[in-house]
Amino acid sequence: MDLGLDRSELDACVSCGLCLPYCPTYRVTGADIYSPRGRIALMRAVQEGGAPLTDEVVDSFETCVQCRGCEPACPSGVPFGHLIESTRESLVEHGHRPPLRLRVALHALGHHSLLLAGSSGIAVAQRLHLVPKGLPLPAKLPVRRSRLDASGDDVYLFTGCVMDAWQRDVHAAVKRVIEACGFGVSPTGGDAACCGALHQHAGLGDDARAQAQRVVDSLGDTKVVLVDSAGCGAAMKDYGRLLGTAEARAFSERVFDVHEFVAGHVDGLPGVEPLDLRVAVQDPCHLRHVQKAHMAVRSVLKPFVREIVELDDEGLCCGAGGAYSVVQPELSHLIRDRKTAAVEEVAADVVVSANPGCLLYMRQAGVVVAHPMELVARALDA
Amino acid sequence: MGLIRSPESDPILVDFASEIGSVGPVVVRGGGTHWDLGGGSDPAAREVRPPEGIVGIRAEEMTVEARAGTLVSELHEALRPFGQRTSLPESPGSTVGGTLAVGWSGIARLGRGQTRDSVLQVHYVSAEGRLITAGGPTVKNVSGFDMCRLLVGSLGTLGCMADMILRTRPIPEVEVWHRVVDVDPAEVLRRCRTSASILWDGRSTWVLSAGYRADVDSDLRALSELGSLRPDHPPDLPPIRWSRRPSDLFDMSRADAAVGRFVAEIGVGVVHTENPVEPSPPSPGTVALQRRIKDALDPTGRFNPGRRVGGI
Amino acid sequence: MFGTRLRKTRPHAGDDRCVADLVAALGVERVRSDGAARLLASTDASIFRGGAAGPVCFPDSTPQVQACVRIAAVHRRPVVARGAGSGLTGAAAPLGSAVVVSTTRMNRVLEVDVENRTAWVGPGVINLDLTHHLGPHGLHFAPDPSSQQVCTIGGNVANNSGGPHCLAYGVTSAHILAMEVVLSDGEVVMLGGLDAEPAGYDLRGAFIGSEGMFGIATRIAVRLTPDPPAVRTLLLSFADVDSAAATVGAIIAAGLVPAAVEMMDRRCVEAVEDFVHAGYPRDAEAVLLIDVDGMAGGVEAQATKVDEIARGLGGRVRVAADEEERQLLWKGRKSAFGAIARIKPDYYLHDTVVPRGKLVEVLRAIHEIVDRHGLLVLNVFHAGDGNLHPIIAYDSRQPGMSEKVREAGREIIEVSLAAGGVLSGEHGIGVEKRDFMPLMFSDDDLDQQARLRGAFDGLCMMNPGKVLPSPHSCSDITELTEAKGDLWG
Repeated sequence: MDLGLDRSELDACVSCGLCLPYCPTYRVTGADIYSPRGRIALMRAVQEGGAPLTDEVVDSFETCVQCRGCEPACPSGVPFGHLIESTRESLVEHGHRPPLRLRVALHALGHHSLLLAGSSGIAVAQRLHLVPKGLPLPAKLPVRRSRLDASGDDVYLFTGCVMDAWQRDVHAAVKRVIEACGFGVSPTGGDAACCGALHQHAGLGDDARAQAQRVVDSLGDTKVVLVDSAGCGAAMKDYGRLLGTAEARAFSERVFDVHEFVAGHVDGLPGVEPLDLRVAVQDPCHLRHVQKAHMAVRSVLKPFVREIVELDDEGLCCGAGGAYSVVQPELSHLIRDRKTAAVEEVAADVVVSANPGCLLYMRQAGVVVAHPMELVARALDA
Repeated sequence: MGLIRSPESDPILVDFASEIGSVGPVVVRGGGTHWDLGGGSDPAAREVRPPEGIVGIRAEEMTVEARAGTLVSELHEALRPFGQRTSLPESPGSTVGGTLAVGWSGIARLGRGQTRDSVLQVHYVSAEGRLITAGGPTVKNVSGFDMCRLLVGSLGTLGCMADMILRTRPIPEVEVWHRVVDVDPAEVLRRCRTSASILWDGRSTWVLSAGYRADVDSDLRALSELGSLRPDHPPDLPPIRWSRRPSDLFDMSRADAAVGRFVAEIGVGVVHTENPVEPSPPSPGTVALQRRIKDALDPTGRFNPGRRVGGI
Repeated sequence: MFGTRLRKTRPHAGDDRCVADLVAALGVERVRSDGAARLLASTDASIFRGGAAGPVCFPDSTPQVQACVRIAAVHRRPVVARGAGSGLTGAAAPLGSAVVVSTTRMNRVLEVDVENRTAWVGPGVINLDLTHHLGPHGLHFAPDPSSQQVCTIGGNVANNSGGPHCLAYGVTSAHILAMEVVLSDGEVVMLGGLDAEPAGYDLRGAFIGSEGMFGIATRIAVRLTPDPPAVRTLLLSFADVDSAAATVGAIIAAGLVPAAVEMMDRRCVEAVEDFVHAGYPRDAEAVLLIDVDGMAGGVEAQATKVDEIARGLGGRVRVAADEEERQLLWKGRKSAFGAIARIKPDYYLHDTVVPRGKLVEVLRAIHEIVDRHGLLVLNVFHAGDGNLHPIIAYDSRQPGMSEKVREAGREIIEVSLAAGGVLSGEHGIGVEKRDFMPLMFSDDDLDQQARLRGAFDGLCMMNPGKVLPSPHSCSDITELTEAKGDLWG
C-alpha cells in the first residue's frame, strides 16, 4: 500500500538504532514497535514489502508522539517528522481517522470566537463542579480573559487558538517583555487563530493546509511574527514546505520563537534584581528538536533568576504532544512519569516550559510550571 | 582451509601433542611451584614436560609468544630491553603455562592487570591428542567462543597448554614501594591513584606506586599527609591464599588467631594467611555445569586426574 | 508498566499453543505474537534479513525468563535473547521462528557498591545510562561501544563488546565479575562471583562473548572504573593514510598506551562532519582521534609525546579546548556507521583485527580490493588495537551489487587473516561471519568450541545457527532459516 513516502527518505535509515533511547515511547515500553527505527521498518514493509496495514501497524504509527527527538539523534539525517506526518495523512485517507471527539475539537480550533465562548462555558461549568475530573483540561479555566490590546506595529505576537483561550496571561507577559525591549506589539487575534499543527499531527493534511493558508493570508505584510508556543512556532516555520509556495516560504522566514527574538535584545532590557528562584528548564520538543532554539530560553532567562538547572533526561518529551495526551493517555502518562521523576531529581522551585501544551500537562501532574516569559515579566515588574 | 598458521606446521608442538597422545592419564608439569593445588595429581598419571622457549617478541604489537614451559622470569628478562612485561606474576621457577593453569594474578594486579586478561591465544592439546588453537594472535579478538579464559585457572584438566601469545604492557617510568604504619588502608586506596599494589597486614600498609614520575610524586605527597612514609620492600607473603570481596578485607584483624599472620591485597580481595581458611563454596548450580564442561572436553578424564577444580 | 498497550495482538497460526502458554505464564501484556512485532524482532542493525521471530516476550524477572525458556523447550522452539537490536552481525536475528526474549524491561540498576566498585544491573540496562547513573560516584563502566547510547549491558556480555577506550581499559570480559544465567534446561546458575578469584572454571569468562548461545544473563555484576582525573583529546590530521597509520605504530612503539586511538579516512570525516559540525578537517585524507587520560603528569607527558610523534610524521595537531568540544568530536566518531547513509543507502562492514604493524599494508590491500570491484569504502576504526572497520557503502537495489559487496568482504577477511589477523575484534560472528570461521579455525578447533557450547546448552536451543558453521552447529542451519508459517498470518 502506498503511504506516499519518499523512497530516498526511507532509505536514509540504516537501522543502526541510535534513535531508540531518544524516543519517548521506546523508553517507556522497550518495544521495537514503539521506536522510530521500528516505525520506519513498518513503513517500508507496508509501502514496499506488501505488508498489510494491520491494527498493530496502525497502532505503531498512531502512538508516535511526533516529538521528533529522534531527528537530532540520527546520524543519517532521516526526516522522521516528515515521514510520520505523511504516514498519518495516508492512514486518514485509508479510513483510519482520528477519534470523533478529537476531530470535533480540532474543528473548533479554527473557529476562534466559538472556541473562546466554549472555553468560557466550560470554565463556568468547572466552577459549578459540572465537569468530571480527569479530563485533560486545566484545573481552572479562565471565565473571562483580559484584553490584549496592540501597543504598536513593530512585531506580531501570534496568539493562537487554545493558548489564547486558556493562557492569555502568558501572552500578556510576553507582550510586556517585548515592549520592554523597545518594540510595539500587535497581537494577531481571531483571523490567524490556529496554526494547524494539531491537524497536521493528526493526519488531517487538508485542514492543516487550510489553517496555514489563513494564517499566511491574514499576516501578509513584512513584520516579524513572534510565537510564544513552541509547537505553533515549529509548524509555522515549516509552512514553506507544507504549502509549497513562495509566499509561504517568505512567511516562514519571518517567524521566530519569542525567545529567539528577545535573546537578540536582552541587553536592552533594564537591569533588575533576579528572582530568588532555582529554575529547571524543560525544553519543549518542538523548540529543541525542531526549531533548535532552546538555548535562547536560557540566555533570556539567565539575568532574571538566581539559578538555572538542567533536567537529566536529555530533552525527552513530557508526553503532552499536542493532542497526544488525549488520544494516547496511557503511554502519555508513562512518558510524563519519566519527566516528573527527572523534575524531582533537580529539586527546583519552578519548571519553565515554552510550550502551553507541556506547561498544562505537567501542571496536571502537580509540577509547578511557568512560561519563561512569565518569570522575566515578573522580574521586570518586581 | 584456514589462513592462520596451523600449529601442525610447528614440529615442537607436534612432538608435544604426540607425547600427550590420545589415551591414558597424563599431566603436564611446569615448575611445580603450586603442585599441591586442587589436591595434587594422581601418581598414576604420566608426567609430560611442556616445550620451552620464547617464540617471538613483537614489541611493536605489544605481544609475546612463548612455550608453556618458559620461565616467567626468563620471559620478563627478555622483554625488559623493550620496556615491556606481562601481567603474569613471577615466583622462582614458575612457568608461563603453569601460571596460566593456576590462573592467579600477582600482587601488583591493580597496576599490571590480571593474568586471565593477558592471554590472547593458546595452542593446546585436546583429550584426543589433537592440536587446538584457542583465541587469536591480535590484541583484540572475539572470533568464536572464549576458550582461552576457560583454560586459565583450569589446572590442566581441560587441555594441555603448549604455547601461548600474551599481551605485554609498558614498564612504568617509576615503580617504588613504600610503607606507612597505622593508617586506614582504604584511605591509601583512595589517595593513591598510581598504586599498583596495596598490601596491609593489619598495621602496616605497603604501597607500590607506579606511573609517570610527576604522578607518583604527587601521590606520595598525598600519602605522606597520612603518616610517615618510608621506602621499603614488600612483605613476605604467608603461604595460604584465599579470596574475598575487597571490602571484606577491612574487617580483618591481627588478633584473629584462626587466621594468624595475614597480608591482604587492598582493592583486590586476595588475602595471604598463615593458617588455612574454609574456602568459599562454588556458586550454586555451577557444579553440574563444570562437570559437563570437563566431560565434554575430556570425556575419559585423562587430564590431570585426581586434581579438583572448584567444586568438582 | 506497559498496560494494555501490548494487548493488541493476534495469535499467530502455528504459534497458538506456544503463545497461549507464554501468555499464561507471563501475562498478556508481556507477549506479542503479531506480525509487526515479529517482523521487527527478526533483524538487528546488520544487513542480514533472513531472521524469523516467533512470539516476542518482555519478561521483567528471572523467573519469567525461566518460564520463557521452559515453554520454548516444551514446544521445541529455539530461544533468542534480544537487547537493543544494535548488533552488527545478525547474532540477535532469530532463526527458526524462535521465541524472542527481549531484555529491555529488565533495565534497572539494582545495586551500586561504591566501596567494592561493582554494580548489579539488569541485562536491559543501556550502557550509557549506566555510566550516567554512576556519574555522581566518579565511576563508569569502561566498555564504550559506538552504540553505547542504545546497546544494553546484556548485549555487551553476549558480544564481549569493545569500543574505543578498550585500548587502555580492556573489553567487556575484563569488566564483568558475575552473572546470573538461565540455561536452556531452565536452571538458574551464578557464574563468576564478587570474590577476587572465584573458585572453579572461569565460567563467566567462557560465557562472555557466547552470543546468546550459552544461556540468558538475567543479572550482571559489572566492575566499575574510576573516572580519570584528567583527559585530553587530540585530533591529528594527515595528508595521507599511510602517515596516520605510521603515527599509530610510532605511538605504540614509544610505550604509550593512550585511552583511545581512532582513525577515520576522508570520506568518513565528511559524512560525520555533515552530522556533528565538530570542525573535523575536510581536507585531511585521514584523522586520528586520540584520548590520553589518567593523572595530570602522565596526561601531559603522553600528550606531548603524541604531539611530537604526529608532527614528526607530517601531521597537524588540534587539542580539544574543553569538554564540550571533546564530546562533540567523540559524538562524530561514534555516529560514523549511521552517517554512512548520507552516502549510500546500505552498508556492509567487517571488523577484522590486524597487527598494528600491518595497518598500512592491509589498508592498501582493502582499497585495491574495493577498487577492483568498483565499490566505495570508508574506513573508521580502532587504530590503536588494529581493529579495522572497513565499511562498504552501496545500494542493494542495483542488480548484482549485494553479491559483489559480499565477495569484496570475503577478500578483505582473507587479506586480514593472511596478515596475521583475526575475523572479528568486537562485533562478533553471528550469522554474517559464521561461514568464515573455517578460515581461522580448524575442524578440531571448532569441535572444541561446539563441545563447550554443548556443555552449556545440551538442548541446542539457545540462539542456534550462529557462530559455529555446519557441521559444528548442533542444529541444521538450513532448516532453521525457514520460517514457520507466514509472519502476517
